[in-house]
Amino acid sequence: MKDARPPLSHAQLVARMRPRPDAAERLAGAPYLTDRQHPEQLFGAILGSPHPHARILSLDLSAARALPGVHCVIAADDVPGCKAFGLRHVDRPVFCAERVRCIGDPIAAVAAETPEQARAALAAIRVEYQPLPLIDDPQAALAPDAIALHGDSNLLHRETHRHGNLAAAIAASQHIVEGEFLTPRQMPTYLETEGGIAEPDGQGGLTLYFGAQNPIGQRQTLAAILALPEERVRVVNGPLGGSYGGKDELTIQPIAALLALHSGRPVRLRLSREESVDLGVKRHPMRIRMKSGCDAGGRLLFRQVEILADTGAYATHGPEILDAAVEHASGPYRYQALSIEARLAYTNNGIAGAFRGFGAVQVQFALERQMDELAALAGLAPDEFRARNLSDLNDRGPLGQVVAPFDGPRLALEQIRQHPLWQGPRRWQDGRWLHGVGMALVQRSDGFSKAGPNGAGLEVALAADGCIEVRTSFTEMGQNLLDVIRILGARHLGCDEARIRPRIGDSASGVDSGPSAASRCTTVLNQLLQRLAPAWRARLQALVGDDGLEPGADGLLDLQGQLRLDYAELAATLEADQLPVERCAFAGEVTPSDNPIAHFVFGACAAVAHVRVDRWTGQVQVLRLSNAGALGPVVSPLGYLGQLEGGLLMGQGMATLEELPMREGRYLARNLDGYFVPTLLDAPQIEVIAIEEVPEGDEIGPRGVGEIGVNIGAPAVANAIAEALQMPVRQLPVSAERVLDHLERQP
Amino acid sequence: MIDIEFHLNGEPVRLRCPADRRLLDILREDFGLTAAKPGCAIGRCGACMIWLDDAPANACLLLALRIHGRSVRTYEAVCRDPASQPVRDALAEGGGLQCGYCTPGMVMTLAHLHQLPEPPDAPAARELASANLCRCTGYGGIRRAIERLFEPAEGSAATPIRPCGDPA
Repeated sequence: MKDARPPLSHAQLVARMRPRPDAAERLAGAPYLTDRQHPEQLFGAILGSPHPHARILSLDLSAARALPGVHCVIAADDVPGCKAFGLRHVDRPVFCAERVRCIGDPIAAVAAETPEQARAALAAIRVEYQPLPLIDDPQAALAPDAIALHGDSNLLHRETHRHGNLAAAIAASQHIVEGEFLTPRQMPTYLETEGGIAEPDGQGGLTLYFGAQNPIGQRQTLAAILALPEERVRVVNGPLGGSYGGKDELTIQPIAALLALHSGRPVRLRLSREESVDLGVKRHPMRIRMKSGCDAGGRLLFRQVEILADTGAYATHGPEILDAAVEHASGPYRYQALSIEARLAYTNNGIAGAFRGFGAVQVQFALERQMDELAALAGLAPDEFRARNLSDLNDRGPLGQVVAPFDGPRLALEQIRQHPLWQGPRRWQDGRWLHGVGMALVQRSDGFSKAGPNGAGLEVALAADGCIEVRTSFTEMGQNLLDVIRILGARHLGCDEARIRPRIGDSASGVDSGPSAASRCTTVLNQLLQRLAPAWRARLQALVGDDGLEPGADGLLDLQGQLRLDYAELAATLEADQLPVERCAFAGEVTPSDNPIAHFVFGACAAVAHVRVDRWTGQVQVLRLSNAGALGPVVSPLGYLGQLEGGLLMGQGMATLEELPMREGRYLARNLDGYFVPTLLDAPQIEVIAIEEVPEGDEIGPRGVGEIGVNIGAPAVANAIAEALQMPVRQLPVSAERVLDHLERQP
Repeated sequence: MIDIEFHLNGEPVRLRCPADRRLLDILREDFGLTAAKPGCAIGRCGACMIWLDDAPANACLLLALRIHGRSVRTYEAVCRDPASQPVRDALAEGGGLQCGYCTPGMVMTLAHLHQLPEPPDAPAARELASANLCRCTGYGGIRRAIERLFEPAEGSAATPIRPCGDPA
């Protein structure tokens, strides 16, 4: 049946919240992985390249090795297994041997008894470089005579999507808008920089305690680098102080592991904020040329998009991010013709990689700007123009693929159209302040594309104390995974929430749930537990030899609902190796269409933003940001609200504030005095509305909420600024300087 | 190297260290008190907030020579003090922490303000806590905590969000 319950208001979500399961531990000051100490510990340090592009002519470690307190100094020759890593493209060296391709590219590392000794040893390493021509622009990188950073071309990836007759659609268009949009190099800015401790186990193996999002995947890569069997490597990924995608890929873990194995001692390795700015991944800056047209009645006819993205020195998630840009460049709208062409270039500009919003937010900014521009040309209000062009419930997805039926965009748009903020005035002046109200609508994919990795495993076990352990390799990053596991575990397994004991974020569980990424954890856990529940019930019934008993809150219940056997009593009757364990694997919800980059499941948000811009200083202030999410049933109200509030402000940051400047391959800001993230004073009054309705027959249930706040926040704020200033916003962030430049050009 | 004496969480302690050793390193590495976090190490994020003679200060900006003869209180002591309970409860119940990395610093600031003889009103508390960065929450839960802990601005009743999804 169609689930048509009314939306949950912000106040209702707040009223339903309860503290996180880990709140008490966090509030007691419990340590993070970068706080771990070991009595035998050494301190690691990395020698990074001072040049963004250079040949290494010689490397001499001997003086460093001779210094007091130094236990080992290692470089590329000391890597026993794979010398590079990466996802689809294994192109990132653990240590550079011949050539460095970005600032801070690791060349060597040391482990010493004190941080001071480690730094002294770095200073004693002798490297001779021959600087190479710098490639700091993606367009120049693709020139035929450009020096290739990898292989024979800097074109790392190209993706296109076309349908319909573009020339005919352009010819039939009454109104056409065209422009070039630029998006910033945004930094995840997790407050805990990359780091942790690598501890040898004394038998040739080791454990890595480093905050990340995928312990099993990382174990596999690390084992290959270390030339160890996977079972000799254990990876613990949490607790961690923020990630937002930025810690999904390995960074310094291979170096920490090698230092620990070479020295035979636990090695702590932690990047300073400056080192983290150099080595951490950023959002891909994109240059987006977009042209769109509609007929006289305001019906969209075509969209033509050319995307050029800067992936920096190594591939990491770059190709998938470009694919996401292609899939999200057309939005939840219908067209007669689409032409999307995207290219991804290697440059010497740091490293771009996974970051919440993942390739989509950049194009959604351009797309939603042009929706407003076209609406104005067609003489329609922005909401009306969008409503006229929405895809239908049973339409194909943005790449022509079969998708799970979903009318979230329509539901979200309807909520925001009737919102009091949208119903009120949209532009007015109040002394030196110019006010504007703008809106946006986005859909975004859930989980990975058809190419995966979509598979996920889960294990449920009865523990000796009567608790039911739910084991997954997913990681708690603040999204409230622990409570999601408790809520969904109790719902599907029939027991009380207090009985559920989550086991997460550790490769030692042997359970591979895949990456905690792509907003997928809640959706996937729901599917896994739903599939596992019948087997769990049958297993418990078989154990007591009575299929008339049902799993209940505290144990097995008879037909009258009376407790017959407490879980703890059941556990007490069993030997440790007889305790029931049920495993479940889920291949993932993928589109039946034959397109590796296409997704099957989408969620949607619409938002309205109110900004005011100071005509004297150019400063943009966001006063209100109200979002309606059509993301299926809410599992954890606190998680839902918190993920959207956090995502929305991160999107606002991209639209108003955040840009990491680079010149000639070097970062012009390397700490939080030059890269600004929103503070408590920048945060608007954020409202979150949850539309739980899903179509009849929906089998997906809850959609991911982890990223979409970013996707909707940036375009909604950009549109409000454009309205306030009557400014053709083509570049983010809309900094005070850009506002003043615009105002100065006004008559 | 210098010899310094100071009070750490009420106990007198002595230390011989370089005069420019940062209090943040002294706490974390020498005393194993790791609740103060190195987020930026330049005084911009507030994750290493401690109380120096009962006033909040960034431990990353304090050198050893500056703390001689002073009193330092860290989150390890403050979180065990019942006086900070309302702040911790307000953050937990309002959703004021996600990854939790900024939380000790945030509590140090808010608990200090909350325990002042004349606490600020909520807008002033927001301003005073804006030197503590949080990257996860969008400050939604932190705003809810502040609204619960501090009086609304004088003369202007807090303007609640007009709900649009409510049946009423």
